[in-house]
Amino acid sequence: MWKIKEGSPQHWALRLVGVAVIFIAVIWVPTQMSTSRVGQFSDAFVLIVAAMSLNLVLGFTGMISIGHSAFFGLGGYTAAILIKDHGWSPGYTFYAAAAVAFVAGCVIALPALRIKGIYLALVTLAVAVLFPVLVKWKKLVWLTDGAKGIDSVRYDDLPVWPIIGELKGRDGRAVFAYWLAFVVLVITYLVCRGIVKSRFGRSLVAIRDNETAAAVMGVNVTAAKVLVFGISASLCATAGVLSTLRTGVITPEGQYVTLLGSIVFLLIMVVGGAGTLWGPIVGGLVYVWLDNTTRGFGSESDGFIGFLFGWADQSPATLILGVALVLIMFLAPYGLVGLFKRLWVKAVVVIPRPAGTPVAVQMAAETVAGDLR
Amino acid sequence: MKRISKKAIALTMAGALALAACGGDDGGTDAPSTEAPSTEAPTTDAPTDTEAPADTEAPAAEAWAVNTDDCVDPDAANAPIEGSIKIGSAMPLSGGVAATAFAPVKDGFEAYVQWANENKILGDVTIEVQIEDDQYNKDLTPGAVEKLLDSGAHVFSGIIGSPNNAAVRDLLNEECYPQLLALTGSPEWGKAEEYPWTTGILIPYTVEARAYAALIKSQFPDGANVGVFVVNNEFGQVYAEAFKEIAPEFGITIVDEQTIEATDSAPPTAQVNSIASNAPDAILAVPLGAGCATFLGEVANAKAANAGWDPQVFITATCASSLILDLAGPAADGLYTSNNLVDVLDPETAAIPAIAEYIAFMEGLGKGDIVTTAGAGWHTAEMTVAILKQALESPEGLTRASIINAARNFDQVGTLTREGVRMKMNGLTDQFIAESLQVVQYDADTRLFTDIGELITDFES
Repeated sequence: MWKIKEGSPQHWALRLVGVAVIFIAVIWVPTQMSTSRVGQFSDAFVLIVAAMSLNLVLGFTGMISIGHSAFFGLGGYTAAILIKDHGWSPGYTFYAAAAVAFVAGCVIALPALRIKGIYLALVTLAVAVLFPVLVKWKKLVWLTDGAKGIDSVRYDDLPVWPIIGELKGRDGRAVFAYWLAFVVLVITYLVCRGIVKSRFGRSLVAIRDNETAAAVMGVNVTAAKVLVFGISASLCATAGVLSTLRTGVITPEGQYVTLLGSIVFLLIMVVGGAGTLWGPIVGGLVYVWLDNTTRGFGSESDGFIGFLFGWADQSPATLILGVALVLIMFLAPYGLVGLFKRLWVKAVVVIPRPAGTPVAVQMAAETVAGDLR
Repeated sequence: MKRISKKAIALTMAGALALAACGGDDGGTDAPSTEAPSTEAPTTDAPTDTEAPADTEAPAAEAWAVNTDDCVDPDAANAPIEGSIKIGSAMPLSGGVAATAFAPVKDGFEAYVQWANENKILGDVTIEVQIEDDQYNKDLTPGAVEKLLDSGAHVFSGIIGSPNNAAVRDLLNEECYPQLLALTGSPEWGKAEEYPWTTGILIPYTVEARAYAALIKSQFPDGANVGVFVVNNEFGQVYAEAFKEIAPEFGITIVDEQTIEATDSAPPTAQVNSIASNAPDAILAVPLGAGCATFLGEVANAKAANAGWDPQVFITATCASSLILDLAGPAADGLYTSNNLVDVLDPETAAIPAIAEYIAFMEGLGKGDIVTTAGAGWHTAEMTVAILKQALESPEGLTRASIINAARNFDQVGTLTREGVRMKMNGLTDQFIAESLQVVQYDADTRLFTDIGELITDFES
């Protein structure tokens, strides 16, 4: 076992290696991989952003939400309507979608002030079920185009970004979608990290662990719950915008707009590790990889898979995906990040600094000395 | 310092988003120009196209040809395809009810391609087919199509689902890949000026709705009250809108309109009772899959509960399979529907040599139990290969551009098409390959369909 002190050169070197690996991977994907692989990473980033937003309310605050598909859809529809009906440039719709979803999230959070646990789950479930119905409501068809949905929502001309330069064709669109999704992902990560590491974040964790105790300690539970739900909704809406721009189509039947979307976001968060910042990232990448791999069995039913599942009338993709996810949860009950941490500490132990900075420790010592005098 | 740097990163990222925002769309369009030669017949939109009588066909002095100038890679669009040609498609092969319903389409498609290769329909050119699984989820279709493009697909055919096709339509038109014979009846596939590389294969819902409206008028010359029951998705909405739009023209008054969610497996008791309370002369029904049977069962219950009420039931062609109608049993007896393909379960039809060969070939592959449901896949593949053959025999030879030109200047019959039905497209004049249909009535005792009136070809342009 390798023991290193927090903040030591070895610790920094280790961090640097981690950052370098991520940096190289992020550059490697759009420059070296096939267009379809780049597209798969873009798809993964969309789901990661949605799962991160859910993690904020469920993983860190303990508010069970099965209604995030509605925020995802709200974002997608806001973008589609603004682009198609009002001629907005797609990039600006991220801000509008986030703002609209923030308001919606705050409103939907109001019941959460009085209920929790399974009851809150039911309320959010109702939101998820209601959203597609609302979109198809006859009185809203003028806005949403009803069950038909809205299509051809896209960048007609791709913006020219510094370094990346001018992009054209499907390769260019894939690379652009990748970087756009990556930027949104990084912003979402920074927002979540900023919240979690802040005083507000600690109050969220306190609410999750013991709401009464948190209130007694001075946490404004009402404001915290409403605010975090609103922020989470707005982040999820940006994922919806990304998804709509990727496919160019949004319909109320779309998988991620329906209840199934909420389940997928939840699954990604749990597989990766709920209540961890990296959980949704790992979960999203693993889920998309597994999903694409198993769906491949549907079109290639020869070989070992064909031998195993040749008896089935249809592709075994869903069955294999389900079994794989169950196995992951069996082997990693705290998610893949939890499993990684458990294995990592067997190899490397980072000894934390003593609590407080040297200055604070010195001040505390002087105070104690003064008191003694 | 640490905080400042994080804020700086966040601001940089937000700035990058703002840069993304600055990218223009501003009303421009990337769709390749579809400028037709000056001798081209006038454009007809989908609804107009479906209404155009047969005798309005404009003489096309010069065949419609796609303009490849605006393609991302015009040379690639006109490059000869030699040795083998790869057809790509995306269909629901896993993930629920849709997979159960549509998996036989894949089997039928692949079976025909195998048959075509064995019989050297394209001579020395081998046909490859790769069908990816998109689980009927439009969010997965772009990934499936990108994978197919990476693996060298030259042409796409038979992608199932309107949103799924719409999700890749811009991509394939920008890249100039033929997106042939989308397996949906949405009128969206008749926009050759905007999307010259995209075509459909099913009879547009608008045409089907008009055929039923005409029959209702002939049965109720003094006007009819009609109840409408539709599935609450794109399919149902387009259908219902089309029917409501033409209803006054045929003296039809819509007295009630009910919907059911596509995912709702419960029988539509309340909806049918609501329709029954208005006692309409006829019901136009657009349910989906197993919903066809539950709807018919509820209509039978409502008829039993309302003595003297015996409406004519017109049900969408997607229910026109004895496999589906068997589930409804006697409740399906006497309903009206339509099709443009033969019923291979009809012994007389099954005895026709070409159809007998189809059935024998499927049985040889161990797929004799799905000859009816696989028929759509077989038919789509057959029309696709016919288009490829026409392109191969054109002066340009087999290229992506010649394939879409062949598709849009096409006139063929298929093994499974009804007698008199022609699968044809004609540039901008006729943008739908299938517009002829036969209204039929179902007999639950014999499990066969009886033709009602003549084959309707009025909608062919």
